[in-house]
Amino acid sequence: MNAAQVHRGPDDDGTYKDPAGRIALGARRLSIIDVEGGHQPLTNEDGTIWAILNGEIYNSLVLQERLRARGHRFRSGTDTETLVHLYEDYQDDLVHALRGMFAFAIWDEVRGRLLLARDRFGEKPLFVHRHDRGLSFASEISALLDAYPRAPDLDLESMDMYMVLGYVPGPRTIIKGIEQLPPGQLLTWDAREDVVATKRYWAARRSALAGPESVAELTAETTRLLKRSVAATLVSDVPVGVFLSGGVDSTLVTAMVAEATPRVPQTFTVGYDVGEVSELAEARLVAERLGTEHHELVIDQADVARRVPAVLAELDQPLADPAVIPVHAVSELARRHVTVVIGGEGADELFGGYPRYRWLIRSTQLKRVLPERYAAVGARALSFPPFGTHAARLADVIAPQTTLERHLDWVTAHRRHARGGIYGPAMSDRAFSDVSLISLATHLDGFHGELGVDAFMQLDQRHWLPDDVLYKVDRAGMLNSVEIRAPYLARELAEFANSVRAATHLAGYGKKLLRNALNAYFPNERARRRKTAFRVPGAQWLRGPLYPILEDQLAWGTAVREGFIDGDSLRRTMSEHAGGKDRTSILWPVMALGLWLDRFVGRT
Amino acid sequence: MAGARPRVLVITPDFPPAKGGIQILSHRAVSSFTTLEPTVATVGHPDAASFDRTQAYRIERSRDWPGKNRWSNFALNAAAIGLALRERPDVVLSTHIVASPAAVLLRRHLGIPFVQYVYAKELGVRPNLARFAGMRADRVLAVSRYTHELLVALGVPGGRVTVINPGVDVPAEAPTDRPPGGRPTVLTIARLEDRYKGHDVILRALPLVRAEVPDVRWRVVGGGPLRATLEDRVQALGLAKAVQFLGSVSNEARDEELAHADVFCMVSRLPAAGFAGEGFGIVYLEANAYGLPVVAGGVGGATDAVVHGETGLLVDPQDHVAVADALVTLLRDRDLAGRLARGGRERAHRFTWEAMGARVESELLSVIR
Repeated sequence: MNAAQVHRGPDDDGTYKDPAGRIALGARRLSIIDVEGGHQPLTNEDGTIWAILNGEIYNSLVLQERLRARGHRFRSGTDTETLVHLYEDYQDDLVHALRGMFAFAIWDEVRGRLLLARDRFGEKPLFVHRHDRGLSFASEISALLDAYPRAPDLDLESMDMYMVLGYVPGPRTIIKGIEQLPPGQLLTWDAREDVVATKRYWAARRSALAGPESVAELTAETTRLLKRSVAATLVSDVPVGVFLSGGVDSTLVTAMVAEATPRVPQTFTVGYDVGEVSELAEARLVAERLGTEHHELVIDQADVARRVPAVLAELDQPLADPAVIPVHAVSELARRHVTVVIGGEGADELFGGYPRYRWLIRSTQLKRVLPERYAAVGARALSFPPFGTHAARLADVIAPQTTLERHLDWVTAHRRHARGGIYGPAMSDRAFSDVSLISLATHLDGFHGELGVDAFMQLDQRHWLPDDVLYKVDRAGMLNSVEIRAPYLARELAEFANSVRAATHLAGYGKKLLRNALNAYFPNERARRRKTAFRVPGAQWLRGPLYPILEDQLAWGTAVREGFIDGDSLRRTMSEHAGGKDRTSILWPVMALGLWLDRFVGRT
Repeated sequence: MAGARPRVLVITPDFPPAKGGIQILSHRAVSSFTTLEPTVATVGHPDAASFDRTQAYRIERSRDWPGKNRWSNFALNAAAIGLALRERPDVVLSTHIVASPAAVLLRRHLGIPFVQYVYAKELGVRPNLARFAGMRADRVLAVSRYTHELLVALGVPGGRVTVINPGVDVPAEAPTDRPPGGRPTVLTIARLEDRYKGHDVILRALPLVRAEVPDVRWRVVGGGPLRATLEDRVQALGLAKAVQFLGSVSNEARDEELAHADVFCMVSRLPAAGFAGEGFGIVYLEANAYGLPVVAGGVGGATDAVVHGETGLLVDPQDHVAVADALVTLLRDRDLAGRLARGGRERAHRFTWEAMGARVESELLSVIR
């Protein structure tokens, strides 16, 4: 199992077996803090508690100081040892003391009990497989598959959800019998009784103050909390870099890193040789202003042809988010200089950065004045091609459907309706399934009746953020042995952001508080940057360097051969795209699925 | 009028029967003057008549526009000037910077010296007005050393500032020891209005406290817009059985809570840059007076109100694990808790309103020319 995860931790390897044969723990290590003394698994003074950790506990040193004052003795000073001693004092409640990104396991030999935990937003993965000999867990599915008793089965319901959403939502995975531990949850396994139980210890929850507050004061609070979080993520014995796209989130973080460290920060950006979405110029400008040591990389067509199939096939589960490519490339670039990089993940979800939130507000206003009958006709008319994307948005806005369905269709470019047309015989009976909607609905606790912006911000934090954004960032980073830290996801900052009214967040172009905070660093220019990080010229790539991959998929890909995707429909969609119609929203997910399947089937 | 007592005009937007800390401070200071003869200019209140009748000095009330502070403050300043023109006091005490424009005008045109009392929060909200008042007053009274620092940071010469802490009412009979066998109880008393009061941090600490003191409960006195958000988070953390929000309660109910709790905790932090936070925290002394050890943030005015290791524990108010540690220590180590409780009660006795009022009065007398 360990050998399958070498890229996660190239620096060290260790195992522990319980004398009674009840459990075996294995760990691979990417050395970041206490580079010399951090061998895992780690144990306490008398060998009754064992722990392994994937990730980083940012407040580890503070906790150790306190634990020492309470009489605990430390041998190595690693984060993992902190867990062992915290567990002695707090048992399962130790999670409440932790800041950071983590998935960990603690084996309590006396109680014969295993505790698994995953961080609050799901920055670090944790997969679990329950079987007749107990329970296996790992940071990657591939590690579990090595120990699988028989050839694993694909979960076709998960595959259908992937085709709608673009990612497989937890707790499911693409493999039958393997589940993810959801973010903010604990799992315990009693070895004597062979009983498993889970418990939620934290959840992202939008609950805003009823009255208005002073925006100046809220901005100051945002700055205070973000600075504190940035400082915490900089606790590291190795050099740290920053992903800089030139947008609000990454610029603000870069400015704070520059302020917090005596060293000149290293910043990293990617750009493209096609399309209009290159961020190089904006990032370079910010880097110059802040005096960072800036590195850039241009992903050219040849690189795309090489990188896309390699990365998409290497992922644990299929993922249709094209941004995994630039994140992978920029991680590779960063790895030549640093092992830890600060990213801007979570800013859009917590501080209201997505334009769809503002569209949603407009839609509720519009629906109030527009009779449903006219709305349906208007929606039809506006969805005709000559009207363009803004009209299509408006069509979504006034079409008579539930807000949840409308949200899903916006974020997935209507794949829910289009997927039937591309499914092969093995999938065709799933084309009308509503499981994706149901999966979304399970995260709407606390909301009743007509759903508003608060509901969708919460949904994005619990569904899209862990299973798309953070999954992408963790995998792309780990494939390059780079750890990506997200200061926006600090618990205090997140809870604060979720207690601020949506109207405040969405004022202006959205992310009002972050824009205001940025004004303190760039006082003479209005922060009006609208873009979100690491966009991709996917449509151009699919006409250029990636077209041969689609042709290969058509000719001998597993997806078509096994009847998941219909070959004729794929061919037709490809030629439409080549002819100028944008079919990226179908072709990219199909390509990502196909490449992943080819490797998966090849190895089983 | 030779031989007559020197007269002070007290201008204050905050005076009983309206509720609040500045109201109490203004009233108690003025009521304990022995040499000066006070007249109070303040704003109207529905229950003012019955209150004013029981006071030993004259109270003039200007019109109040509820919800429109600007108008009320303007009317107060105008009325105070009118009153001063008629009565020609020897000195003016402004107990809030919003009353300083009248005091400054009276000083400039009639040569009446004035003294300005300053807390903390208003320095962040109205820094320019605070500087205006601080630079022109003959004396500035700061509620704590922290407020002194804030004033100096605004540019007010430190030599012109005197720190005068507020006082506290000590219950007539010393509370006896807590009834044994009750659930270990942590108490917080504060309006659920300002984020910096630190309810969020206590909430984060509570699961850790519960891991070591399983039946702990947290009782929260005070109402305000933060309540619903905090209640939601209590639900999300699965702490509903450990936390009770009591809302805003009567003075008697509040005293009852103080008498039955084991630890008082309010971990006010310094709010973000430019906003001031806790000026002093009379409530810490009140808790001490009721025989409670306190846990407070080791920043801002609370460092005047609480002596670490003598009347309570000062911790990093941003670090919920430190807060949990302090609470567990006091809930488990009853010897230490008892020692701090005794130390707190003794110290609270020294903060009498009479002593505080006498200091204010001597500062006023010192500026009369």
